[in-house]
Amino acid sequence: MSKAAAFSTAIETPPLGSAYQGLYSWVATVDHKRIGILYLLTTLVFFVMGGIEALLMRIQLARPNSTFLSPDAFGQLFTMHGTTMIFLVVMPTLIGLANYLVPLMIGARDMAFPRLNALSFWLLPCGGLLLHFSLLAGGAPAVGWFSYAPLSETSYATNSGVDYWTLSLLILGVGSVAASINLIATILTQRAPGLTIRRLPLFVWMILVNSFLVILALPALNAAIVMLFIDRHLGTHFFAPANGGSAVLWQHFFWAFGHPEVYIMALPAFGIISEVVPVFARRPIFGYEFVAASTVAIALLSFGVWAHHMFAVGLGHPMDLFFAATSMMIAVPTGIKVFAWSATLWGGAIRLTTSMLFAVAFLIQFTIGGLSGITFAVVPIDWQVTGTYYLVAHFHYVLFGGTFFAVFAGLYYWFPKITGRMLSERLGKLNFWMALIGFNTAFFVQHFLGLMGMARRVYTYPDLPGWALLNMISTIGAFLLGASVLVLLWNIITSLRHGKPAGDNPWNAWTLEWATTSPPPAQNFDRVPPIRSRRPLWDLAHSENPDPIVGGIASSDGFALEKNRVGIVSFLITESVFFLMLILAYLFYNSHAMNGPTPTSMLNPHRTGIYTLCLLASSLTIWLAEIKLRAGKSSAFRWFLALTILLGIVFIFGQGREYLRIFHDGVLVNSNLFATTFFTLTGFHGLHVFVGLIALLILMALAFAGDFRQGRIEAVKTIGLYWHFVDVVWLVVFSVIYLRLLL
Amino acid sequence: MTTRQFLISAWNWNPWVITICTATILICGARNKFRFARKSAWLLAGIIIFFLTLASPIDALADGYLFSAHMLQHLLLLLIIPPLILLSLPSAPVPISFQNGQWKRFNWILRHPAANWFLGIGGMWLWHAPLLCNAAVSNAWIHRLQYVSLLLMGFAFWWPILTPWSKQRIAPLAGMIYLFTACLGCTVLGIIITFAPVEVCSIYLHPMDRLDILPLIQNQWGLTPAKDQQLGGLLMWVPACLIYFCGILGLFARWHGETSNTAIIPESTFTKAIKEQPHVR
Repeated sequence: MSKAAAFSTAIETPPLGSAYQGLYSWVATVDHKRIGILYLLTTLVFFVMGGIEALLMRIQLARPNSTFLSPDAFGQLFTMHGTTMIFLVVMPTLIGLANYLVPLMIGARDMAFPRLNALSFWLLPCGGLLLHFSLLAGGAPAVGWFSYAPLSETSYATNSGVDYWTLSLLILGVGSVAASINLIATILTQRAPGLTIRRLPLFVWMILVNSFLVILALPALNAAIVMLFIDRHLGTHFFAPANGGSAVLWQHFFWAFGHPEVYIMALPAFGIISEVVPVFARRPIFGYEFVAASTVAIALLSFGVWAHHMFAVGLGHPMDLFFAATSMMIAVPTGIKVFAWSATLWGGAIRLTTSMLFAVAFLIQFTIGGLSGITFAVVPIDWQVTGTYYLVAHFHYVLFGGTFFAVFAGLYYWFPKITGRMLSERLGKLNFWMALIGFNTAFFVQHFLGLMGMARRVYTYPDLPGWALLNMISTIGAFLLGASVLVLLWNIITSLRHGKPAGDNPWNAWTLEWATTSPPPAQNFDRVPPIRSRRPLWDLAHSENPDPIVGGIASSDGFALEKNRVGIVSFLITESVFFLMLILAYLFYNSHAMNGPTPTSMLNPHRTGIYTLCLLASSLTIWLAEIKLRAGKSSAFRWFLALTILLGIVFIFGQGREYLRIFHDGVLVNSNLFATTFFTLTGFHGLHVFVGLIALLILMALAFAGDFRQGRIEAVKTIGLYWHFVDVVWLVVFSVIYLRLLL
Repeated sequence: MTTRQFLISAWNWNPWVITICTATILICGARNKFRFARKSAWLLAGIIIFFLTLASPIDALADGYLFSAHMLQHLLLLLIIPPLILLSLPSAPVPISFQNGQWKRFNWILRHPAANWFLGIGGMWLWHAPLLCNAAVSNAWIHRLQYVSLLLMGFAFWWPILTPWSKQRIAPLAGMIYLFTACLGCTVLGIIITFAPVEVCSIYLHPMDRLDILPLIQNQWGLTPAKDQQLGGLLMWVPACLIYFCGILGLFARWHGETSNTAIIPESTFTKAIKEQPHVR
């Protein structure tokens, strides 16, 4: 073996066996490739369902004053269509693609946490079925995908549809967050030697940024949904204005999630385009650094623009001013990306495969959607066209003309890798042209309808001049688009059987997933090629003319991260945002006088202070336990662990007494907003302490079983970190609720 | 009084400010032998902004009239002037006295980003506790203390990112986290101030109209105390975050611009050589 062979890394082959045969093996699989395929198949089913819902609505809207659907059925359909497409199709499709591709693209054998991966997938069908079960249980939700309060409160949404909506979205949210934590840990810790972060394929880079966006944004939705659920089931008034709640707070919480969500659905699509365009233009991407940096810029800005969804609420002149400015700013990094892709095409030897056609259409349609998006940043225009079909046209240009076209491009690009067979290019071209014409026919005219004043979400419209014609055109386009999906399905089915064998690298692409067989073996790679630039396979094929080495000869980033630590830290980040939302709600509702029990009359800071000291002491003891374990003193370790558990129990006991005392005074969670926010915030914290105690007890059991003798202390460190987090959160909660009373 | 009259008349020729500005220009200019380098532009910008912050009508407005003007001063002192000055300093090795001389212990603090982070963000939160905020407006000495402490805390905050001792700079990825969490810190404070139904700084509710400009502010500019506080909160929330955000992009550029030695690596013996295949159409 020559000295250079040290750069190609051998990977152990796992034992193959019954785990890879039969239907059961698909249910029980923890292989990222199979889970990725399961994701894609599941979302395909939901995609067809969401599409049928859309077509039903288009039939209803084809003619004025139509009675094809009742108003209530229409309401249910647009809610289900929006919720399905966003939470059951776009997000999981992108997560599924990432699931399949990220480990391959970074030269890893699997995701960092394969079992967690299986869990995140199975939560998807679970959440999807729960949402659709509402159809059998008295009617689907009919409140729109953003479920504006107070419409979603029990007094207006009387059937159980919204309850199923909340539960389903919570489950799906947990699944997405789990998948994102997994992706972060995978990308940060499982990369092949030589693949530094600066050499990452752009798809992986964008998935990394996107996963951070998910773990930061989703908890805002989860917190809001939890509050809505409590409102509906415990009779509280978070979002019911009649009893002091604030419907606008729901909108803030929802859009604090909702706008980053737009980018959660767009960034991976940008990643797909950044892979497809260079390969079919036969040129490396123009301005890699700018594309990467603009991704970060978009992600950061996306948290500071949500109020532009709320200009029509009347937030006040200063608010409108600032958010108009930031919203316009987002056009800059997005524009940089479009320029980078166009510049990659410029002068390239372009191969117009189906994948490339979809990518080029993406460029144009996404730009149209982006430009109409900028018009929403202009407050007076927003007032005019928000809530009309202009908005519908805008976001379909972003999400269908943008994201879905990118997904189709990715599907045609990676299908050979996933199945080992090529999709038919002939059917592919048919699919593309039908989709292109159908999509633009369906949605471009909706710009005009919106400007003419046609309101979205209304089940029918009067026979005004031009409206009937434009709506009929839109419906015809929608059906053409639907037919194009049938062509795609037919293409997939026939190509799976009779498609041309793909070979390892049918497109002459340059990233690592093409270095292995198609479909890849269970272990992904036997050897990973050397990586010194962003196009390792180019370097391999053109040893006379390799890409410049990126970032010097360093084969690592200069920091080594441990996957459990990355996992738990990401988890704690998402938990912090969840608690932040609950704390902000507490502050918001308790900063002005109200009737009924108040913090001053109900709470005693000194008494709770003693229990707080117990909890803080437990942080110290678990720290000492960890030190003792590291020093190999296992009996001292067990003592300190036991002490930690004891102190935690004392704290829970103290909280229980506090609750009982408050209940004794006749104050319940629905008494007033103080009681509601107090019980929600401290209750969720108590729940976390409880979960922490269970984890500590498991550690204790493992310790007695002798599990940590070999010095495997990751579990202790991980649980320890969680326990410190619980204590820090309590410190903040204690200051916000109790210490404020002493000032 | 009209806006124009106000903008002309409300300058505050504070001798302290003028002395500091001229002294800095003279000292730094002398060190450069009065040649204008690119780095001098940062310094000049910093000094001009410092002068505008404390001598222009912004200061007159911040002095008891407008919470938002006070917030603007706060942001300039904490987030704009210190990084500009730090950018103007020529890069240098870490002085011996800081490496292992008598300042070694002090250097430990300089090198520990958590301490700097808490100084920067803590300063922001601390001065917006209602008690301190009011005290700073009503007492001239506390006011001066506030200015000085904001500047110092600003230097402390930006030090890990922009220190001229390039060996001690924070790693780019860690720096991005440093700035992002700072952005979160000021976002939360900004949101609370923007939406708080109570007054953060009650002294701005009933200004003493020393300059006779209250009608101008409230009627012509339309800045009622409620709007004023909202504006102040938004300043802390949005532009402050955009500054951190520029810092993050700057770090990103620095990270991707980094080049270490690019020695040529011998060809590997990767067995499955991938050959050019005919294009698939």
